[in-house]
Amino acid sequence: MAVDVATAPAMERPAPVRRKLLTAESLAGYLFVAPAIVLMLVILIAPVLIAATLSFTDYSLGNPGFEWVGTENYEKMFSRSTYTKMLTASAIYVLVVVPVSIGLGLGAALLINSLKRFGDIYKTIYFLPVMAALLAMAIVWEFSLHPTIGIVNKVLASGCGGFLEEISDWYAAGCARNFPLWFGDRDYAIWTVCFIGIWQGFGFNMVLYLAGLTSVPRELYHAAAMDGADSAWDRFRLVTWPMLGPTTVFVVTIATIRSFQVFDTVEAITQGGPSKTTYVMMFAIYEKAIKHNLIGIGAAITVVFLVFVLLLTLAQRWLVERRVHYS
Amino acid sequence: MIGQSSPFSEALKHAVLILGALIVILPFYVMVSYSLKSPREIETNTGGFFGAQEQMVDEYCVKLGNAREDCVETPVIYNYTQAFKKAPLLRYLLNGVIVTASIFFIQVLVALPCAYALSKLKFWGRDVVFGMVLFCLLIPVHAIALPLYIMLAKAGMTNTYAALVVPWTISVFGIFLMRQFFKTVPDDLIDAARMDGMNEFSIVWKVMLPTAIPALLAFAIFSVVAHWNDYFWPRVVITGNRDLYTPPLGLREFKGDGDGSYWGPMMATATIIVTPLIVAFLMAQKRFIEGITLTGMK
Repeated sequence: MAVDVATAPAMERPAPVRRKLLTAESLAGYLFVAPAIVLMLVILIAPVLIAATLSFTDYSLGNPGFEWVGTENYEKMFSRSTYTKMLTASAIYVLVVVPVSIGLGLGAALLINSLKRFGDIYKTIYFLPVMAALLAMAIVWEFSLHPTIGIVNKVLASGCGGFLEEISDWYAAGCARNFPLWFGDRDYAIWTVCFIGIWQGFGFNMVLYLAGLTSVPRELYHAAAMDGADSAWDRFRLVTWPMLGPTTVFVVTIATIRSFQVFDTVEAITQGGPSKTTYVMMFAIYEKAIKHNLIGIGAAITVVFLVFVLLLTLAQRWLVERRVHYS
Repeated sequence: MIGQSSPFSEALKHAVLILGALIVILPFYVMVSYSLKSPREIETNTGGFFGAQEQMVDEYCVKLGNAREDCVETPVIYNYTQAFKKAPLLRYLLNGVIVTASIFFIQVLVALPCAYALSKLKFWGRDVVFGMVLFCLLIPVHAIALPLYIMLAKAGMTNTYAALVVPWTISVFGIFLMRQFFKTVPDDLIDAARMDGMNEFSIVWKVMLPTAIPALLAFAIFSVVAHWNDYFWPRVVITGNRDLYTPPLGLREFKGDGDGSYWGPMMATATIIVTPLIVAFLMAQKRFIEGITLTGMK
């Protein structure tokens, strides 16, 4: 039957609703989705399965075969200090960048939204880093934070001798010796990388929050005022924040997935150092699997990465659905 | 907002926002300013924003055996000509355009008919396909870079344009976005087109495509911004062949020989690769922000 050929994978049992199996419309439908299905299978789904399989092997490119090593790659990841440092660096990065960039994005959106004029100018400026190639901006930041010729330490040094030295021990110490090396100092490197991540990403969150704010009905503020919610904080707590719930869930998911993927800053500036303090997951995959050809461990990191993303997205779905039930 | 804000609180808000704006702008300021200055001015941090533009001697040019007076240049001209001379920056920019445009073109070619079928055509298994799209939305392509790289390496395709483009040909996000958009298009429009004797294929390209322009623009913004700026994937698949470098890779190469005197040309290169998107954004701000918003509100 011609029908079986055209719809081969999908036709294990007859369609329950449509008796007439192959109309012109359904033929067109299959033709139109076919390229997308093939690409999804080859480019997205197969690689996940490949990564899962290879994570149990010691495969490397160029070798004819490979050995099954069981869960050895995973055991390494949770026991060897390199990988615990990797998990720590990724965790710090995500746990710092996500809340701070969302907090700043929300703060900027609220301030801009409440302004009488010039709001658009700030919106434009804050969004610029989102458009700029992160690699280029990372290099500029590296230069700005350069310990000897960088503008940041020069500005800091110019404040020496003033009141700042008296109010801050950190500042006084910087003046007495030197201000930090930023990327070269193991106490500062990961935080500096986080700072660039926040700088780059918060404008995106701001725009999403600004969009969310336009959908908060004004009557709710009137109603809240009637009920005695007078202060700006009350209005925020009782009306704005709950109404922004779905936006926040979305922003958190996107921001977290993006944070797990940080690579440009680390590869271009710190190479994971000093002493692996900035050894984030994406860089670890790149270094281990692609530079050193240790595919098995790279695949294991990939799988852990995907599990994190999956958990996050499921948590998001759950939160959104729970919200819908309550409201 | 409810409640009149006093001039004082208004001023306070501006103060906070201006402080933030200064921090946001700082690296852009450094980048542009230092792309204009001579190496000496960069090291001593003198010359203000534009640099004094005093004539400087290109030491490298002298080392090559040229007469000193032939190697005198104005810093701004030196930096920008070096940016183009030291590496084939124009080639990199062209690669950036080729790769970004091919990716977007193929993504639309695949996604548009699929989105149309998922929203307007009835066929057995449609929900399964849509479920597959939703599932694939969970997979961040950067995260599965490693298996993709192995597949391309096995196929002998690393260091080709195809390697830069192929993994991005499917955008489940694009399918999802356009399907949601097509849902809002009335069925009558399609029925009318069928009455006129159009087949499904021409309905997609002659009826649906024009109506989908706003969604396509939003999608274009995401696609182009992501792939023009992408550094990770080119870094993985383009290992030796400089002819295939995209703009970020080209900039990275500059950094490789991190001699202090190249900061000027390096900042010039950074300015050149960052400018196209920033200018596009400044010209079509409203569209950009609408686009982001449209996609965020799913």
